[in-house]
Amino acid sequence: MIMIKVKNLVKTYPGEVPTLALRGVSFEIAEGEFVALMGRSGSGKSTLLHQLGLLDMPTNGSIMLNKFDVLSLTDSERTKFRLQHLGYVFQEYALIAEFTALENVSFPAMASGDNNAKDRAEHLLDLVGLKERMRHYPNEMSGGEQQRVAIARSLINNPKVLFADEPTANLDTVSSEIIFKLFQKLNKELKQTILVVTHEPEDKKYVDRVIWLKDGLIENEE
Amino acid sequence: MDGTDIKTAFFIAYKTITKGHKSTIALIIFILSLSFFNLMFVSGFLYGFSDGVMKSMIDNSTAHIIVMPQEEPTVKSFVYDQDRVRAEIETIPGIVGTARHYQLQGTLAYDKEKDGNFKYVSAQIIGVTQAEEKEILTVNEYMVAGIFPDNLKDDEIVLGANLSGGFDTKQTKDLGGATVGNKVQITYANGITRTYTIVGIFKLSMVGSIASAAFISTSEAENLLSTYNSASEIMVRVNLEKNTLDEYTKKIKGIVPNLELEKYTSRLSTVGILVTAFNLIAVIVSFISIIVSAITIFVMIYVNAVSKRRQIGILKAIGIKEGIIELSYIIQSIFYSALGIIGGLLVIFLMVVPLMTIRPIAMPYGDAVLVYTTLGIIINISSLIVAGILAGYIPAKIVAREDILKSIWG
Repeated sequence: MIMIKVKNLVKTYPGEVPTLALRGVSFEIAEGEFVALMGRSGSGKSTLLHQLGLLDMPTNGSIMLNKFDVLSLTDSERTKFRLQHLGYVFQEYALIAEFTALENVSFPAMASGDNNAKDRAEHLLDLVGLKERMRHYPNEMSGGEQQRVAIARSLINNPKVLFADEPTANLDTVSSEIIFKLFQKLNKELKQTILVVTHEPEDKKYVDRVIWLKDGLIENEE
Repeated sequence: MDGTDIKTAFFIAYKTITKGHKSTIALIIFILSLSFFNLMFVSGFLYGFSDGVMKSMIDNSTAHIIVMPQEEPTVKSFVYDQDRVRAEIETIPGIVGTARHYQLQGTLAYDKEKDGNFKYVSAQIIGVTQAEEKEILTVNEYMVAGIFPDNLKDDEIVLGANLSGGFDTKQTKDLGGATVGNKVQITYANGITRTYTIVGIFKLSMVGSIASAAFISTSEAENLLSTYNSASEIMVRVNLEKNTLDEYTKKIKGIVPNLELEKYTSRLSTVGILVTAFNLIAVIVSFISIIVSAITIFVMIYVNAVSKRRQIGILKAIGIKEGIIELSYIIQSIFYSALGIIGGLLVIFLMVVPLMTIRPIAMPYGDAVLVYTTLGIIINISSLIVAGILAGYIPAKIVAREDILKSIWG
């Protein structure tokens, strides 16, 4: 089953001289696939992920996520779709500083009306190896730990797709390896569809497929 | 917005407040307490002044309603057969009591040094029966020397301190310090001259001629005016909890259709203008205080929201509705406003009101104390809460509307 279907996606940033960040990108990702988006800086990787994660609106083209034409949704429908169907991991963790690890993870489920949010959050923190740290606040955790909390948060509502935007860019080698192995585990054990943006060539070994971007276009796939 | 959304908004607000900087939160609450204190104090003081002036007028000078002689079809000098008129008025339910006054004008003369150098002061002289008078007016409670006998003898007089002089009064025209036991001479408008012994001096810090008036006995006034069982005015005190002033006036008019009626408010004259002006000032100052409070909350919530732009962006990115984020900021501003209100109320009612009750601020027209009605307090509280809701909503709306990526990355 096709989980992500992108067709002729164009993104132009307005300005005196408009910037064409995506020039007509088309690709498909099957359910349960672990795919990496790679390319040089400025190739359009993060821009593409922002459009897929519904954090930004493309100028043209179409995006089907789990058979939903997500670009036809209203603002509030897109917000609900993000909450219920998508998981998103940011480069800089993007945790809520005022929430503990447990609260950060359980919060999206609580906002969805899930009465077992806490139990599920505890389970996910156990899964990412942070059960002992769940009462800690983000500023009491290392970068790697924070990123694992962010991953647990992205999984709390059983998303159809997990997007990760350079999740190891700020981490050391050991922490990066832990994160990618965690993604691998989620993909293998939970059949989680994952699309991760990375610029490290050695990350290729963890994924099923790599989509290479160059100047806003798909250069090749391997 | 459903129950889950409201619960989520409360959770965000709760965590933001409990994990926020304690000193910043304390400062916000302190500033709002000051704003609310200012709102309460100024309005309470100005309404207290107005209330004090009117209460003083009712208690010491006019009661609530004044019944005066007939003017139409022919002008009459007195209310005649006053005992029958008063008895009929007193049958109306809610009437507390009545008393009659004879009004005279005269010039008082006092020779303090007994050297033939008299000081002369024109004054209002009122003929009263104190035994009746004290049931509805309270001049006798303000004696600073001597007494106000229930039955003044015909050669006895009670003076206002503003007229006698002394007693820390600062009148430009007074008798220069006449006191109990001294004799004063009065030449009335009809040419009759009489000498009286001062038996009491009262001091009222209120506007109006009563503070500078002199009281003589009813029988003396009747001798001077050559009348009997009459009155220049009948003062009527009513219970306003049972009926309105207008309703009492209507009922009295029904009993004595030919007599003229006046409410105490129409006797306020220049003080009335002052009271109206003070009430208007109280409304304006209250409005300004509300605006200042709203701007304070707006600025604080805006700064708070702007400093949490990234957090707002993250919340939106993970799928939290803008409405929930806005509601969380409204809850925060209601929380700050509520604590500010509680702080302001504690200062007002535990410190300032007791202090001003013990030591009221002396004003030229009466002592000023803080006066609050339940409705007034509810209006002040509601105003600040509504201002807080608006002042919390607008900045939250501005920040929450921002693009997600711009909020997170700046």
